[in-house]
Amino acid sequence: MYPIVDHEVLAPRVHRLRVQAPVVAEKAKPGQFVILIIDEKGERVPFTISDWDRDAGTVDFVFIEVGKTTQQLATLQPGDRLLSFIGPLGRAAEVDRYGHVVTVLSGYGIAATVPIIRALKEHGNTVTTIVQAPDKERLFGVHPLEELSDDLILALGTKGDGMMESTTVAIRKLLDAHPKKPVDRVIAMCSLCLMRVLSEMTRPLGIKTMVHLTPVMVDGTGMCGACRLSVGGTNRFACVHGPEFDGHEVDGWEVLMARRCTYADESILQQGFQCRGCSQW
Amino acid sequence: MTEAKEPKASPKKPKLNLNRVEMPKQSEHERRHNFDEVALGYTWELAKEEASRCIQCKKRNCQQGCPVNIDIPDFIAALQREEIEEASRILKRKTSLPGVCGRVCPQELQCEQACTLNKKGAPIAIGRLERFIADWERTQGAPTMPEMAPSTGKKVAVVGSGPSGLTVASDLAILGHQVVLFEALHVAGGVLMYGIPEFRLPKEIVQREVQYVQALGVDLRLNTVIGINYSLDELLNTDYDAVYLAPGAGLPKFMRVPGENLNMVYSANEFLTRTNLMKAYLYPEYATPIKMGKRVAVIGGGNVAMDAARCAVRLGAQEVYVIYRRTRAEMPARLEEIENAEEEGIQFHFLCNPTGFLSDGRNNVAAMELIRMQLTEPDESGRRRPVPIPGSEYIMDVDTVVVSLGTSPNPLIPSTTPDLEVTRWGTVVIDERGRTSKARVWAGGDIVSGGATVISAMGEGRIAAAAMHEYLTNGQKKIIPPTPAKDED
Repeated sequence: MYPIVDHEVLAPRVHRLRVQAPVVAEKAKPGQFVILIIDEKGERVPFTISDWDRDAGTVDFVFIEVGKTTQQLATLQPGDRLLSFIGPLGRAAEVDRYGHVVTVLSGYGIAATVPIIRALKEHGNTVTTIVQAPDKERLFGVHPLEELSDDLILALGTKGDGMMESTTVAIRKLLDAHPKKPVDRVIAMCSLCLMRVLSEMTRPLGIKTMVHLTPVMVDGTGMCGACRLSVGGTNRFACVHGPEFDGHEVDGWEVLMARRCTYADESILQQGFQCRGCSQW
Repeated sequence: MTEAKEPKASPKKPKLNLNRVEMPKQSEHERRHNFDEVALGYTWELAKEEASRCIQCKKRNCQQGCPVNIDIPDFIAALQREEIEEASRILKRKTSLPGVCGRVCPQELQCEQACTLNKKGAPIAIGRLERFIADWERTQGAPTMPEMAPSTGKKVAVVGSGPSGLTVASDLAILGHQVVLFEALHVAGGVLMYGIPEFRLPKEIVQREVQYVQALGVDLRLNTVIGINYSLDELLNTDYDAVYLAPGAGLPKFMRVPGENLNMVYSANEFLTRTNLMKAYLYPEYATPIKMGKRVAVIGGGNVAMDAARCAVRLGAQEVYVIYRRTRAEMPARLEEIENAEEEGIQFHFLCNPTGFLSDGRNNVAAMELIRMQLTEPDESGRRRPVPIPGSEYIMDVDTVVVSLGTSPNPLIPSTTPDLEVTRWGTVVIDERGRTSKARVWAGGDIVSGGATVISAMGEGRIAAAAMHEYLTNGQKKIIPPTPAKDED
């Protein structure tokens, strides 16, 4: 069993849990995830690792309450135990010396990308980080990003003006300044729709854009194909070939987004979950 | 004596020409709506009657037909003497999974096929008797424990707790080795838990037999993925003297046709894992949902396809089609499973093959394009090759698809173990005693065969365990007690 050792509320319905799992902490790398099960009647749910401490044998992850399991997770306190906590799964994020890297984050990505940005800095990159959040109250995790990033842009969409535009406006400015002020790589861990839009914006400029995809998963170790998508014309499994992919090679966006919401009406109870204009609704 | 439910008077239509004692079963109508076990099991009277048919012939063909060499005539003789506990001890000398063997083994191709009674009438229902003994011991008798050999001081890692891993773990534990059994999933049993449905193999029986293996002293480590948490070299270079690889099947195969990733197109592994391992049929009490429409097409003709189709019926599908590109004669599924499926109203479409799937406009599957096939002359494997008939394309309305075309081996361990030789399909290369190209590593089950049966995986485990034991005791048959330390002069 895997005891919870810390539980912090980062923003309304946004939580960080710290779990005692030495076997996972020992090998964790930036961009990898775990599959956890709360109890023997629970479902298997993937969460990207946001931090680890190899000596203490603990692993952190951040999640937003969107459905049954995340709402149940939100009630757990230090001392409670998880039935299962399997990982680190998936391939680590690609990190090397690229030059100027722009990272685009939203939701859990705001915390889960921190290890990737830390690694990017260790490889001598300059990093501009764009954080998208609906508003100030629901913004969290800014401090580590401020410390690590050379430049931090907060894209806080106010109610009416559709937050997507304020992120893409920030990106547009950076891309317009390219190549004078070069953007050598984009790494995105945000909503599927935004990652798709980003990939289309950078494609004509040939700026490699790595996207962290979050399809529905069941097994998580390459045995069931629930997380499959088309990349470069062939089927890839996000759990063993990803979850990070080259956004310009992903050609199954439409179907991936539909699959992502297969169970949206059942296990995901959040009313506002239906993305505006998405083909699935 | 566990009184089996009053056997329903299933209509006396002779299916198999077997004048053996009929197995009481839930009626076709009743069982379409529940996941309870279809075969209700022999009562003691039925078991005694069937056991009395055995003529105890000296040649023991039946035993030679058994991949794990169960002493079949002996346990039947014990039943004839009404010594059920003795029968159980004899049975468990050769299998630590009697409840599993009795239910899912293709006996008609193995022990029962070799039974001499075949000439006169129907062979002894050996599987049903094994099941009776296992169920009796589970509910009545105290579990019989084998005598354990003294500790050899050797430590073995077994990777994967499916039928192959469980067999090697129990064999080597009984022979005195310390065994650690690693399992990636959150429960042990592998395909016995995620693949074979409740109505063919109740999970409670699998877990009871896993507990028996643990009672032999095997240390079960769940949620641990070899190839991620530990590499093979880390196991071999830390505290393990030998490793047995049985991680099972891997990535499900797809057809690479348009529309194959549409919503509600499942691999059989996903469909069965949601249903069986995660108990989606008990949603929302169990949190894992399974979304399924009314017209379900299952692509494929093996046992997994039958299991998926029969699950779809129980999950409430109105129409369930099995789509197979050859004919009924070529179907790899067991005859009994095909008949059970037919009885449950599943419609078989032969000599046809999907060429693509159409969306409802919102990326949910709504229809399937197929082409009719014809069989050529038999190929080198003796099976006749299906080829499409040009111009015979047609469309079927379906709103759920389960692709059941087998799996390719799990690449995780081979990809993290450069000196482990694999074939071009990714299956691990072994010699006839299960040894791989890497020192101190043996292998068996689907990682070697690419996808075969529970019993063949157990049979390979039995062979490898014997070879591993020989290596671990460097060929000494008996364990020589350490010579007492001499006093210093």
